[in-house]
Amino acid sequence: MTDDQENVTPAPETARHLAPGDVGLVTPRDFVHREAFTFRSGQTLPGFTLRYETYGGLNAARDNVIVICHALSGDHHCAGWHTPQDRKPGWWNNLIGAGKAVDTRRFFVVCANVLGGCQGSSGPSSLNAETGRPHGTTFPFVTIRDMVRAQKLLLDHLGVTGVHAVVGGSMGGMQALQFAIEYPRLVRRVLAMATTGRESAQAIAFNEVGRQAIMQDPAWNRGDYQRDGGPRVGLAIARMMAHITYVSDASMDRKFGRRKKDTAAPEAYTFDLQFEVESYLRHQGQSFINRFDANSYLYITRALDQFDLEEGGLTLEQAFAPVEAETLVVGFTSDWLFPPAQNRRLALALLRAGKRASYAELATDLGHDSFLLESEDLYALVRAFLEREGTEPVNYEI
Amino acid sequence: MPRTSEKRTVDMQVIGDWVEPGARVLDLGCGQGALLHYLVQSKQVSAVGVDLDFAKVTACVRRGLCAHQGDMTRFMRDFPEKHFDRVICSRTVQELADPAAVILEALRVGRAVTVGFVNHGFWKNRLNALLQGSKIRNEVYTTEWFESRPSNPVTVLDFERFCGAKGIRIARRAHLAGDWRTPCAALPNLLAGYALYDLAR
Repeated sequence: MTDDQENVTPAPETARHLAPGDVGLVTPRDFVHREAFTFRSGQTLPGFTLRYETYGGLNAARDNVIVICHALSGDHHCAGWHTPQDRKPGWWNNLIGAGKAVDTRRFFVVCANVLGGCQGSSGPSSLNAETGRPHGTTFPFVTIRDMVRAQKLLLDHLGVTGVHAVVGGSMGGMQALQFAIEYPRLVRRVLAMATTGRESAQAIAFNEVGRQAIMQDPAWNRGDYQRDGGPRVGLAIARMMAHITYVSDASMDRKFGRRKKDTAAPEAYTFDLQFEVESYLRHQGQSFINRFDANSYLYITRALDQFDLEEGGLTLEQAFAPVEAETLVVGFTSDWLFPPAQNRRLALALLRAGKRASYAELATDLGHDSFLLESEDLYALVRAFLEREGTEPVNYEI
Repeated sequence: MPRTSEKRTVDMQVIGDWVEPGARVLDLGCGQGALLHYLVQSKQVSAVGVDLDFAKVTACVRRGLCAHQGDMTRFMRDFPEKHFDRVICSRTVQELADPAAVILEALRVGRAVTVGFVNHGFWKNRLNALLQGSKIRNEVYTTEWFESRPSNPVTVLDFERFCGAKGIRIARRAHLAGDWRTPCAALPNLLAGYALYDLAR
């Protein structure tokens, strides 16, 4: 996900967190699981913490739940504001709120920072109780399935009896699909956007360049560094490169073109900052290192790469065999990281497996991050999928 | 009720009569899903629609239907033989770039294929061409040529010749008079306003 400071308007006089439909001020909470958790790798933790937020109210049946799953660099803060002074609201604030496409008047929305993350959930940067130091690379390897299993324990803790929908883009879409496979009786709808059942070689390749940038930084020190230290240069470069894969040629050209910075040296034959796009990417890198842990970046990109619904020679139809949820997959025409064809393929396999599935493809030129787009068309589709009633017969009118 | 939607209903009822309850149905060019929704309500079919348009797919999803945005031939290529009990091509076939390819692919993935189209051999349509010398405009074809999608003026005769040439078996046919309601008993190419065919391999 991009971290788009340029588009943020300065705080107006009125408090932005009181805007109509916004969920307002929100406070994250911690779910502490005190029993041993065995990861897919076979490694274990004596327990874990998931930091999460909820919006809206749980109904009496405790089943009006919408689980939001975040992408690689996202977190549990998907709507509302932590303080009135916040520079930005949660990352999916445009989608989630009272009367919005994910309507918090109707649904109880839950979003947790993934296991292995670095925004409050247990991950490589959290302290190992035995050593008093960050886990670093002694933290167990995490898979998408591990992330989902941990979130299911959170749902159990909240007393959730049914999930109306699991919604996510990119890695969030992988989790949403995995949720439906893992807990078919629990999940009624899945909305997966800009995602894939298995990354292509190109997507793995980009992740590997990011990991190498981190691991080749001497400050990485095989993952052993203090919280305020670590491979800041490597992580910033990883982010700069990854950011390019989240947007598109057209959107970058529209935003920056070949414009030069005002401060650019008049002398063109220099390696100092010249183009606005360079400045923008440097800013992306710098702001990322202040909020993200390099080891988490390694763990989560590894989880992305290893996610493969067709692992072990399974067909997608076989992988989806347990699914009972109705699924909507949304691809974006300009997404070249998880292209439309990979999204479409998921919906087709679900249909071949005899499941209820739809596929829609939104024409945008914003690349992979299009799922975060402020688009009335997308909102209408999301709302249609989440709010329509079941398929029980109603009086037919034309 | 305006006459157009009345005609749509008749179309649906004939197709509904042919669809087996609980069948797995694919609608090519499903639009906003009115026909599929009717079949789900009346025949409890398991329905999938294909359409090129995002807003139409959204409308289908809002109706609780499964819909797939994309090209219909490409969609069908991803399914094994006889995956669907019935493939419906209602008032779509005249607008296809390669109708033979679509119908043959539909016959591969479907046990039965229903095709419905406005008969351009209908005497009023012939007269219109003869006397007006212009593109047909009526309650079904309401738009001028320059605001219409390209359309083949297919006739009952044309369609039956096509089926014969391709070895397609016509299991059932329904020819409706100009009101799209009364069965048309004789000279369908001249007297039928609307034609429906149930095809099999």
